[in-house]
Amino acid sequence: MNRSYKILAVGVLACILVIALTPYIWMLLTSFKGRLDILSPEPRWFFTPTFDNYPAVFIDKAYLPLVMNSLVISIATTVLSICIGAPAAYVFARNDFPGKEDLFFFFLTTRMAPPISIAVPLFMFFTLIGLTDTIYSVVIAHTTFNLSLVVWMMRGFFAEIPKEIDEAAMMDGRSRLGAFVRVIIPMAAPGLAATAVLCFILSWNEFLYAFILVAFEGRPLTVGIPGLITPHGTLWGQVAAVAVVATLPILIFTFLVQKHLVRGLTFGAVKG
Amino acid sequence: MSSQRISRIAPRESATLHREHVPDKPLQRPRGRFLLDRGASLPLILPATILVLIFLVGPFGYMTYTAMTDLSYANPDQNGAFVGLDNFRHLVRNDPIFWHSFWLTIRFVLVAVGLEFVFGFAIAWLIWRFVERQRLLTTLFLVPMMLAPVAVGLIWRLLLQGDFGMVTHYLHKVGLLSQSSAVFSSPSLVMPTIIAIDVWQWTPFVTLIILAGLMSLPKPPFEAATMDGAGPWRQFVDILLPLLRPIIALVLLLRAIDAFKEFDKVFILTGGGPGTISELLSIYAYRVNFKNWDLGYGAAVAFMVYLVVLIMCSVFYKAVYWKSAGAAGR
Amino acid sequence: MPRSNGNFRALSMTAAFATAALLIQTAAGNAWSLEEAAAPYKGVTIRTIGEALPPLEAMSALAPEFEERTGIKVEIEMYEHSEAVSKVMLDLNSRRGRYDFIIQPHRELGKFVTNGNVQPVDAFLESPELRDPEFKPEEQLYQGLWKEISWYDQKAFGFPFTALSMYMWYRSDLLTDEKEKEGFKAKYGYELAPAKNWDEYRDIAEWFTRAEEGLYGTALQGKRHEALWYEWLNFLYSFGGDMLEANSGSECGPVIVNSPQAIAATEYYKSLKEFSPPDTLNYFWDDVMALMQQGTVTQLIMWNDATYAVAVDESVSTVVGKMGFDMVPEGEGGRVAQAEGWTYLIPTASKNKEAAYLFIQWMMDYDQQLRQHLNGGATARPDVYASPEVQELPYAKASMAANEVAKPKPTLPQSAQMTDILVRELSSFLADEKTAKEALHRSAQEISALLGSCAPMKYPVE
Repeated sequence: MNRSYKILAVGVLACILVIALTPYIWMLLTSFKGRLDILSPEPRWFFTPTFDNYPAVFIDKAYLPLVMNSLVISIATTVLSICIGAPAAYVFARNDFPGKEDLFFFFLTTRMAPPISIAVPLFMFFTLIGLTDTIYSVVIAHTTFNLSLVVWMMRGFFAEIPKEIDEAAMMDGRSRLGAFVRVIIPMAAPGLAATAVLCFILSWNEFLYAFILVAFEGRPLTVGIPGLITPHGTLWGQVAAVAVVATLPILIFTFLVQKHLVRGLTFGAVKG
Repeated sequence: MSSQRISRIAPRESATLHREHVPDKPLQRPRGRFLLDRGASLPLILPATILVLIFLVGPFGYMTYTAMTDLSYANPDQNGAFVGLDNFRHLVRNDPIFWHSFWLTIRFVLVAVGLEFVFGFAIAWLIWRFVERQRLLTTLFLVPMMLAPVAVGLIWRLLLQGDFGMVTHYLHKVGLLSQSSAVFSSPSLVMPTIIAIDVWQWTPFVTLIILAGLMSLPKPPFEAATMDGAGPWRQFVDILLPLLRPIIALVLLLRAIDAFKEFDKVFILTGGGPGTISELLSIYAYRVNFKNWDLGYGAAVAFMVYLVVLIMCSVFYKAVYWKSAGAAGR
Repeated sequence: MPRSNGNFRALSMTAAFATAALLIQTAAGNAWSLEEAAAPYKGVTIRTIGEALPPLEAMSALAPEFEERTGIKVEIEMYEHSEAVSKVMLDLNSRRGRYDFIIQPHRELGKFVTNGNVQPVDAFLESPELRDPEFKPEEQLYQGLWKEISWYDQKAFGFPFTALSMYMWYRSDLLTDEKEKEGFKAKYGYELAPAKNWDEYRDIAEWFTRAEEGLYGTALQGKRHEALWYEWLNFLYSFGGDMLEANSGSECGPVIVNSPQAIAATEYYKSLKEFSPPDTLNYFWDDVMALMQQGTVTQLIMWNDATYAVAVDESVSTVVGKMGFDMVPEGEGGRVAQAEGWTYLIPTASKNKEAAYLFIQWMMDYDQQLRQHLNGGATARPDVYASPEVQELPYAKASMAANEVAKPKPTLPQSAQMTDILVRELSSFLADEKTAKEALHRSAQEISALLGSCAPMKYPVE
């Protein structure tokens, strides 16, 4: 009886998995199709694959540097977000001070502001300080918007580490900062990795700020995608090729840190 | 603001809630004790605060000011003169499209997030109960939410295209869709389809978080209930749900915030049409800001969106957490 | 109001004489040379932005030649249509002068001019150092198109990058098929031929709609998107309607978008829906392009600059050699077309205005225009259309005919908002949410309110 329930449950889950994955697999197939296969009214699951779409967009249209741009922006954002966000999260996890929860909530509310209307003021501001068109501007913007996430996730991870460890480290003669950097950070490494991956993904997938703030030479992949939708026909094969390349690093990273990702996301809720 | 009071209560309630069942962890930390003194904590928290103040609160403040001007990049007569609350007044009294978008967005958030929650919860529960090795499975489930939103819009545009869309083809074949119609050309199907895609994209997120919550559930209350002879349904309703309440609240809140800002998919798929059938608030805000360049009015729209999200979240947060505190016997 | 765009033949004759005269002049030693004019700007880099389409790619391929001759480097940013527009709006309004010149759709012109963001070109044209004496835009360009695309308030702000219009595409193989002709004549009582008027257009659409064979009479670009508005304008103009009663794009005037002609045009437009594929309300230009390339559609109204990808390029089209092109069918408003274009402009904040002007002037040369046109461009120079290579293109004749009768559309600062209103209302109408009358009345009211006292409603709503 129990066994048949299990078979039923696994069957249901398998169906759901198919639904979840089919669109992506279709994208993958599309990236190896010629235009006539893509536009065929009868869906073509089997076809003679072409490898033209990848060189056509990455070499001929020179989208390869965009992959580099995406990487630079996302990695810089991730490093900066962690370096600035983690210490703040540590304070939230360890200290009580007046207005602490208000400040914490304030960090969370930054998620609620609609990006569409922050974008123009932000652009003007960066122009004022001479940073528009540079990669710095978008890295700063992404970092700012990632902070809420870092603070929220890392607070949970730090709270999990017993305070006695800080105290022991300090008794060994380390300063408080030294204890944080040398002892606590290594202990929170899995959580840190999960947080970092999430930062990376959010920055990698972001479109609006990257479009508005970065110059043409520095634009990431997401900003390049609309350029393939033209009045002379959408280049579906190339769109698919870009989409596939754009998701690869994310899928790999997600798989690597999946376990910690789940824990990290929920800590914010279950641990003060 | 009331929300701040809630936030002060909420995390701690949820923390104690779980810690009651985890005795080997230290309980409540002593209040007011500074493990780090001010001198050490300020440099740690300051950079984050300053960054947010300059690059987020700054622009947000500027936006709020703009909302009280007539600034426009298009119309030369509107050069940014201060107009007080005129924009808001016009928005509330004379802008039927804003109100249409507003209610549409509310309905979209309620239905989409509701469905995501039901499906996400069910899937999480199935995995939790019946699957031992979850790592690969959960990673695969994550794929839809990991794709760039721009890509999601385009993938579904391709799948649902009426002449060569793969999904359209099979919908026609099994008779779910009449041969002479297509999804985005049938006004009554547009919003349900957008909701379905949103559910496809974000159910994994709900599953993930609920699954994590399920896995961190304490054993003792369930063992005690079994000894008292409570059936699985009673256990689910009386123990599991109340214990998961903080996590449920969290996931609903996060999804609601993001659903309220939904833009990329809908913009690529329908552009808000046909007519205004799928014109969500964010699409309306985009038009006012980036098509009409009516920045003063656009800022007012954005400010209203922010306000609604803030109020909605606060009220919701309050309701759920107070109830959960009650259920936990406090 | 249809506006005369001058006589093409007369113009090209004048141009020919002018060129001849200039050749003699140059030979006589009146030396203006690009190298000399560009000498002060050697080593400068100029930057521009435009839509990622074949004409811009062609320009990008030509730019190194200019660089070699002048030492001025040209950097070109290619974005998607609305991305290119948004980027420029932000740049111009921040006045940081990133772009030395810009390539923009002409409907944006009013915003730029009234906010003082772009530079009139007369100063360059009057400068003996900069102006190539052989460059005579007042003779070498379609005057109507130049005035429409690059002028505002009787002042020239640039030169056309592309001169676009829309015309009718049809499947010549189907329309000349003997069996089809027979059957068509039996049913409708007249010979099957490319539609000359809207009744014929509808008959042909009906005749060729065979859903079970996967063939449709036509396809509407019915998505809520600018493409819908552009397509609808052809019907509006042809039926004798218009949006405003004005003589040029920069003029305000009474709102007539809800005139009886406009309502008739809009109702006719929707009547074609039943001869279009089921997903027609989801189409914008890219979908109808794909359908045409796949041979699914018999006739439609489409852009001249997109013709290349359906009529010539065999790597993407299955109907090369089977296509015919002609002007939009005739209605009460006569045979008309809509003028649209992307224009070169020089921002006031530009840091290298002279170098930018020199490049634009060089691009407007016959040689460059010809090469750009053959690579998917749409020139505004009649003499380029007259060249044998261009005449060979299957769409040259229809393009020229459309260029000559192209009608202006508002380029007022509020034009983008007007478009937005109309797109929304037309889309509502197509989705059966409103009648044509309701949609256009509503549009007229909103447009009138938007433009203010200069735009009263000529057809008040009862």
